[in-house]
Amino acid sequence: MKFTEYYGLLGRNGAGKTTLFNCLNRDLKADSGSFWIEEFGKSRNVAPEDIGYVLSTPTVPEFLTGREFLKFFLDINGNSISDPRPIDEYFEYVSIAPDDRDKLLKDYSHGMKNKMQMLINIIAQPALLLLDEPLTSLDVVVAEEMKMLLRSIKQDKIIIFSTHILDLALDLCDEIVLLSHGELERVDKSNLDSHDFKEKIIAALREEDYA
Amino acid sequence: MLKTLKISFSLKNTYRVNSILYSLRQIPLIRRLLPQSLYSVYGLKIFANLLSILWEIISIFLWKFFYLLVMVVSIGSLYRGLPAQQIYLHILLLLTVIGALINTQLFSSTRDKYYAIILMRMNAREFILINYFYSIIKVIIGFLPFSIFFGRSSNLSLILCLLIPFSISGIKLAVSALVLWDYDKSRFTGTENKLQKYSLIAAVLLLAAAYGLPAAGIAIPMEVSAALLIASLPAGAAGMYKILNYQRYQDFSKDLLADLFDKIDIAKQTAKTQTQRSISTDREIASSKKGFEYLNDLFIKRHRKILWKSSKWLALIALLVLLTVISACFFVQSFRTRTNTYLMSFLPYGVFLMYAINRGGDFTRALFMNCDRSLLTYSFYKKPEMVLKLFRIRLREIVKINLLPAFVIGAGLTGLLFVSGGTSQPLNYAVLFVSILCMSVFFSVHNLTAYYLLQPYNAETEIKSGTYQAVMTITYLICIGFAQVRLPILAFGLSCILFCLIYSAAAGLLIYKLAPRTFRLRS
Repeated sequence: MKFTEYYGLLGRNGAGKTTLFNCLNRDLKADSGSFWIEEFGKSRNVAPEDIGYVLSTPTVPEFLTGREFLKFFLDINGNSISDPRPIDEYFEYVSIAPDDRDKLLKDYSHGMKNKMQMLINIIAQPALLLLDEPLTSLDVVVAEEMKMLLRSIKQDKIIIFSTHILDLALDLCDEIVLLSHGELERVDKSNLDSHDFKEKIIAALREEDYA
Repeated sequence: MLKTLKISFSLKNTYRVNSILYSLRQIPLIRRLLPQSLYSVYGLKIFANLLSILWEIISIFLWKFFYLLVMVVSIGSLYRGLPAQQIYLHILLLLTVIGALINTQLFSSTRDKYYAIILMRMNAREFILINYFYSIIKVIIGFLPFSIFFGRSSNLSLILCLLIPFSISGIKLAVSALVLWDYDKSRFTGTENKLQKYSLIAAVLLLAAAYGLPAAGIAIPMEVSAALLIASLPAGAAGMYKILNYQRYQDFSKDLLADLFDKIDIAKQTAKTQTQRSISTDREIASSKKGFEYLNDLFIKRHRKILWKSSKWLALIALLVLLTVISACFFVQSFRTRTNTYLMSFLPYGVFLMYAINRGGDFTRALFMNCDRSLLTYSFYKKPEMVLKLFRIRLREIVKINLLPAFVIGAGLTGLLFVSGGTSQPLNYAVLFVSILCMSVFFSVHNLTAYYLLQPYNAETEIKSGTYQAVMTITYLICIGFAQVRLPILAFGLSCILFCLIYSAAAGLLIYKLAPRTFRLRS
């Protein structure tokens, strides 16, 4: 995979997209296989801080306020953040209203929690960002805001975006990778218009699968 | 009818077999031996089936045996002055009415009922009736041998002994019919899982009558008991008629099981919301610290209710109790000597006491549910040096929280030892005080270490690790064991202190080596 590209990880329900992410994030032990980062012609192991992982159900520490969470995160990662900004500027960036910034995160809505989680992962600037169905359960406005956000952050990182919604993947991603029967497979887009490309993906996913 | 019987049996059996297989999986060592496709392995299924059938047969008799032995015969034998058979019937009769009120198979909302009637759309009337009469038959068969055995040994006539199982069923049938009648009138069911207010009050009154009256020398006369037992047969027959001819089981089970359906969902939610609710919403709370100290400071302040507040309460209660005992020692000479002798060998009980008042369990649960569950999904939080740093901070906090009541108890006991007559060996004072503090530290270290090394929860906050549960159960059993032992202060105290020091060092080493790998979310 190349830096600065969006990869859409497509697979049917239960294909193992989240499992793959959990393996990459080392929450699960992989049965086999390996992964590494290649930088300046050298390969190296993936460290925890190389990975950002945004889960489909947003998880934020419920006993902190949005501001406190950001402050804590900036405290801890002060050295590694290249261009720290004032906290409110970050809130502006993901459009969280001033009134909400000092509320406990347990009282945040689903969409706001999602934004916080995304924000933390964006500030951390990991080399690899894993997004597990990030837009599936958001309302249309937040989903649109997130899409804009996702488009704006793709410098210097690999972003893998898992979804089972085909149009979303086509809309956002540079490359489509299919996961079925435990195998990853890149779909070649060359010379196909978007309709044919879609057909090709669906056909590939349907193959050998039971309905 | 026969088909319903067969289906409902196999449904219950499947449910039970899968539960057995699931629990086999939770046992740490056995888990490794079991294949992934556990639920489809034929041999294992047969094994679990046998267990399930065996359990069904044993359970028919086992509870009835213990029920009669403990609740009726053993307690009954404590009352003197009244004939044994009169006491026996008095207690049995009243307890049976309580049982009929609060333990009725007909109104229990169980999962297999839910699966059969709601999910698999079986005929509610057939399913409920079949299962109900099966349970009634189990009552009769289960009680018969023991009602003869215990009845005869209480000098009851054989006829009455034979009558009792049928009378018990009769009372159950009659009461159930009454509840159905009540349901028809008000659509209000008093399920055993949602104890209706009045039957609970009635049950408490009956319980008081069952065990209280004989103490005052009063019991239902033999003739009246016998008459009631006989009368319960036609009452049961009438009840059976009502139950058999009742037509609205479909509505009835919908009402009954709707509740359960909510409960299955709610059970998952409750644990979560309860811990969430413990977060203080006080807007004044703030912290001037930085980094992990900042995180920890806010966590402790927003969880005051379950941490410091309860620890202060414990300290206060301990203080009051100890002051009372100390002042009693000043006034009553005999109490003083007894207290002194007791204290000199009391220390092992202290282990259980310190275990019981330790806030560590609540602390780790809140840590997980309100903090780590979410933060562990962020990679910066999982860096080894961060994990260790936060562990040190948390250990310091939980030790502090637990030390407050421990300090009061340790100082109080030392004072009590002095006031109650002292000891020839002055070292005893120091050992008593320090070992109580050490025990408190030990349980703090133990809880937090187990949490970091075995990280028992998954993201849905169900406990997943069998090893963790095993460790906690063993801890509990050991503490219970210590509560039974009496040992001299000096020997036990010194070994305690030594053990706590070694354990803490070992735990620290293990954490340092392993925690960065083990402190993860479980999938």
